[in-house]
Amino acid sequence: MFLLRLTKRLLLMLAVIFTAASLNFLLPKLAPKDPIETKLLELTETGGALTDMKGLVEAYRAKFGLDRPLAEQYLSYIKDTASLDLGQSIAFYPARVTDLVGRALPWTIGLLLTSTLIAFALGTVLGALLAWEGAPRLLGLLAPGVMVLAALPYYLLGLVLIYVFAFSWRLLPLGGGFEMTAIPGLRWDFVLDILRHSLLPAASIVLASVGTWALAMRGMMVTVQGEDYMAYAEANGLSVQRRFFSYGLRNALLPQVTGLALHIGYIAAGSVLVERVFQYPGLGNLLFAAIQQNDYFVIYGVVFILVVMIAVLMLLVDMLYPLLDPRVRR
Amino acid sequence: MSVLEIDNLHVGYELAAGTLSAVRDLSLSLAAGERLGLVGESGSGKTTTALAVMGLLRAPGRVLGGQIRLDGQDLVGLDDRAFAALRLARVAYVPQGAMNALNPVLRVSDSITHALRDHGAPADANRIADLLAQVGLGADVARRFPHELSGGMKQRVCIAIAISLGPRLIIADEPTSALDVVTQKQVMATLRQAQDRLGSAMILIGHDMGLMAQCVDRVAVMRDGLLVEEGPVRRVFHAPEAPYTAELIRSVPVIGQDRRAGTAAPAAAADLLRFDGVEMRYGKSLFGPPPAPALHKLDLVLPDAPRILSIVGQSGSGKTTIGSIALGLLAPSAGRVLWRGQPLAATPPQTFRREVQAVFQDPYSTFNPFYRVAHALSVPLRRFGLATGDAARALMEESCRAVGLDPSLLDRFAHQLSGGQRQRLMVARALMLRPRLLVADEPVSMVDASMRAAILDLLVDLRDRYGISVLYITHDLATAWRVGDDILVLERGHVVEQGDPDQVLRAPSHQYTRLLLDSIPMPDPDRPWSTAA
Amino acid sequence: MNRRLLAGLALLGLLVLLACLGALTVDLDDARPLSADVAQPPSWDNPLGTDTAGRDLAAVLVVGTLLTAKVGLLAGLIGIAVGTTLAFLAAYHGGWVDRVISFAVDVLLTVPGLLVLVVIASAWPGQMTTTLMALVIALLAWREPTRQIRAQVLVMREAGYVRMARLSGQGSLAIIFQEMMPNLMPYLGAALVSSVSAAILASVGLEALGLGPRDEPTLGMTIYWMISEGAFLRGLWWWIVEPVTILVALFVGMYLVVIGLDEFANPRLRSLK
Repeated sequence: MFLLRLTKRLLLMLAVIFTAASLNFLLPKLAPKDPIETKLLELTETGGALTDMKGLVEAYRAKFGLDRPLAEQYLSYIKDTASLDLGQSIAFYPARVTDLVGRALPWTIGLLLTSTLIAFALGTVLGALLAWEGAPRLLGLLAPGVMVLAALPYYLLGLVLIYVFAFSWRLLPLGGGFEMTAIPGLRWDFVLDILRHSLLPAASIVLASVGTWALAMRGMMVTVQGEDYMAYAEANGLSVQRRFFSYGLRNALLPQVTGLALHIGYIAAGSVLVERVFQYPGLGNLLFAAIQQNDYFVIYGVVFILVVMIAVLMLLVDMLYPLLDPRVRR
Repeated sequence: MSVLEIDNLHVGYELAAGTLSAVRDLSLSLAAGERLGLVGESGSGKTTTALAVMGLLRAPGRVLGGQIRLDGQDLVGLDDRAFAALRLARVAYVPQGAMNALNPVLRVSDSITHALRDHGAPADANRIADLLAQVGLGADVARRFPHELSGGMKQRVCIAIAISLGPRLIIADEPTSALDVVTQKQVMATLRQAQDRLGSAMILIGHDMGLMAQCVDRVAVMRDGLLVEEGPVRRVFHAPEAPYTAELIRSVPVIGQDRRAGTAAPAAAADLLRFDGVEMRYGKSLFGPPPAPALHKLDLVLPDAPRILSIVGQSGSGKTTIGSIALGLLAPSAGRVLWRGQPLAATPPQTFRREVQAVFQDPYSTFNPFYRVAHALSVPLRRFGLATGDAARALMEESCRAVGLDPSLLDRFAHQLSGGQRQRLMVARALMLRPRLLVADEPVSMVDASMRAAILDLLVDLRDRYGISVLYITHDLATAWRVGDDILVLERGHVVEQGDPDQVLRAPSHQYTRLLLDSIPMPDPDRPWSTAA
Repeated sequence: MNRRLLAGLALLGLLVLLACLGALTVDLDDARPLSADVAQPPSWDNPLGTDTAGRDLAAVLVVGTLLTAKVGLLAGLIGIAVGTTLAFLAAYHGGWVDRVISFAVDVLLTVPGLLVLVVIASAWPGQMTTTLMALVIALLAWREPTRQIRAQVLVMREAGYVRMARLSGQGSLAIIFQEMMPNLMPYLGAALVSSVSAAILASVGLEALGLGPRDEPTLGMTIYWMISEGAFLRGLWWWIVEPVTILVALFVGMYLVVIGLDEFANPRLRSLK
């Protein structure tokens, strides 16, 4: 049963990655006017100083030239993508897309993983408490605030935070990953500088998603409290802590974790926008810059890497799920 | 000295509109080792009483008056902490839905450990194995999760937890209502043995008079929050004082009493419905072995004469599958189904549809909540081209009267009707269409006991007055015997026995049929469950 | 009626009212660049100030709210229509049709919608319009409605009254439209609102990333210009506060309506106060 699930999940992941890769190939072909061709043509026409772009144009023609049958183009594209050769940037020619993405990826992963894990943990406990009958009354006052937070997209909350903490009170930097003047290196002041800069972007993701997790968990916890085993635990005189943690929270966590798997894509897309708002040097900012310049290979590369990352994370969560739920083990 | 004494207990729900009494003037007492049956239909106050004893009433429910004394100590007004300490240690509870009472993510050993530890008692592997052994379970069960246990095993685990701290009182709330009749008998035997060993008092809550007659020393009957009758079990069953008690006892069908058989079928009758080697397998699995068939090569003949064929089986026997195939809602995996000599697939759908109708188990979902109930009756009339407009209305009203319903009910919504009324309406619908065959799948299992006999009598009426054949599908041998002209006993997709109910049920030749018969609790304390469990 | 639904409707109603009042009192042509002095704080002539391109922000916000609502409604309606059709096809037909549709939904729900939309929208550099935007978003807007409605239909298909309708000789179409649809209406209503809400979320996101219509001042484009032109560095507080406030009101309002309707459609959730 577990093996079957694993195989199914792996297949789904491969299908997702494959779909994303094929989309990147097909979309320009399907568009009324191949935007890549147009962009390259424009460059060769206007670019007196850009003669060195010829190499790029020729490489593109060699791979996607109209003289070659579509199937052949597709095959070589998929082969390259599978070996993580995502082409070269148009704007920063001759930089390779893989290198650009590689440089931005650690920033994104660091921001995304820490803030998601913090938000998930906080939101889950808060949501469970909001639903618990014996919880302090004061907690109830949090509920409307939690709901407002859950309603907002991350970047909008980011704008609010910048406005308050960086613009009005000037407590924290307006954006960026570190001070322009700082010299990168493994030193305390530089690490602190990075943390200072990531505080607001992380806070926007954490605050905006804490509400989502809390509300989801509260709903689950209400359902779980109606289950027979909760009434039975009470009828057996089990302690409050035991009933809250081992019975209530423990069972409500199951759908919550499934929700985490389903939400990763949404979180990643949201954090791309947060990076844009804070000019944080991750994939989001790279993507934004590429869009500004119609740097198609970078756009496709960033989206592809993000899709792969999300698919892998989802698979991970799915694989961990049986540790929590004995019913799907074996 | 009494273990439990309840004096003039008054429990009510304090609502904005006023106080709603759930239990009034209730006085009971229970000695050590004694078993009391607390009987009543839904809303009688029996469960509320149990909750009050355990301090589990939820707001707005509250004890408004009276006393509940456990070993002389008044429990009314104890705080949450005191009640939590008292539960399990002094008053243990065996839950109704043992199916879902155990935390699904915990091993059995953990569930037991939590119960012991939270009351300050030591818990180790030996203690757990010992408790499991006392309820007839092996030590290996400790490592299992609830979903790896059968319903009977789960209920035994709950009993093991209930006796773990040697309580003075055990409250068992319909502990076997989710179990089949064979397992019910075994689990009740385990519960009684465990209670005897401890010498504690027990309250058995339920509505099954048969079970009460077999299991308790004294019976208390409740209705609408009031105690109707109380006394030793023999006295109550042999000479009930309250008419309501008598009615409850009478409503339990007993094999050998009140058979409603029809006339014999003419020998030369043609077939109405015929199953030839019908097999059914659900689902296909890509990996692993193919699923076990729900039905094995089943042969079945219903002659073209008004007859009732009772199909008896426990859950998982394939009885509902037979009904769905006969209705044409499900195509068999193998074998042939013939309707009046023609393969079912070749019968024109419109004729067949009209000729075979159904009454389903769940009276709550058979009516579309969006429409008034008349919708369910008028649609087939229009679709089959039988009547429209005033003519249709007249037909509908006439058939309502034929089943003893006020025709004005037609203009209500389903949620405004009781379960019994809805099932009658379904019978009325069938009657109005004059089908050749009616498939009645557990038509009374979700209806209050007092209504059951009347609805079964309607099925008999369909046969005798309107010449409609009935496929009566049930888990209950006694009602199968009562209305059936023929009976067929199913076990896991196999027919173990079939023929004349008198012969099959009074002189069963198959071991499984005998086991089923032995497991039925008779509503008579003098006809005890045979000791073989 | 529950409190959240009411609060959400009140917020959205307020926005509609403001947009209507604005449309009556403000010259909407001033939403074009160079209609006023650039980067002016609120004044008598420009009550909400102007941006660095000389747009009157009062006009921009009125036009932007309407345009953003248009994108959301168009994409949301297409999403629901396609989603409902696919859901019924899948749930009612079953077999391979169901497998294909369900698999497609599973795969597509796994990909991050906004990012795929980025790839798609980038194929029209500089030629984006609000209508095209709505159509692009509609390409993925059917996924969630399909999943939800399919699940609902699957449950409903097993309901006693649907089996009874088959025994009454009702055909598939009659069962879908007469028996199931009336009971599905609350779900469809909730799904429509959440679909519109998701479409607005996606459109504002795409616009903030610079893929929006450069000639139309939607709310998302206002955010885009505001960030690109460095409103924070220049200290143009009115250009930040105003669109953000409107968007916060819009998202909170829609969210409250969505969960309010959900509770309405799923009575099981009603206890969730």
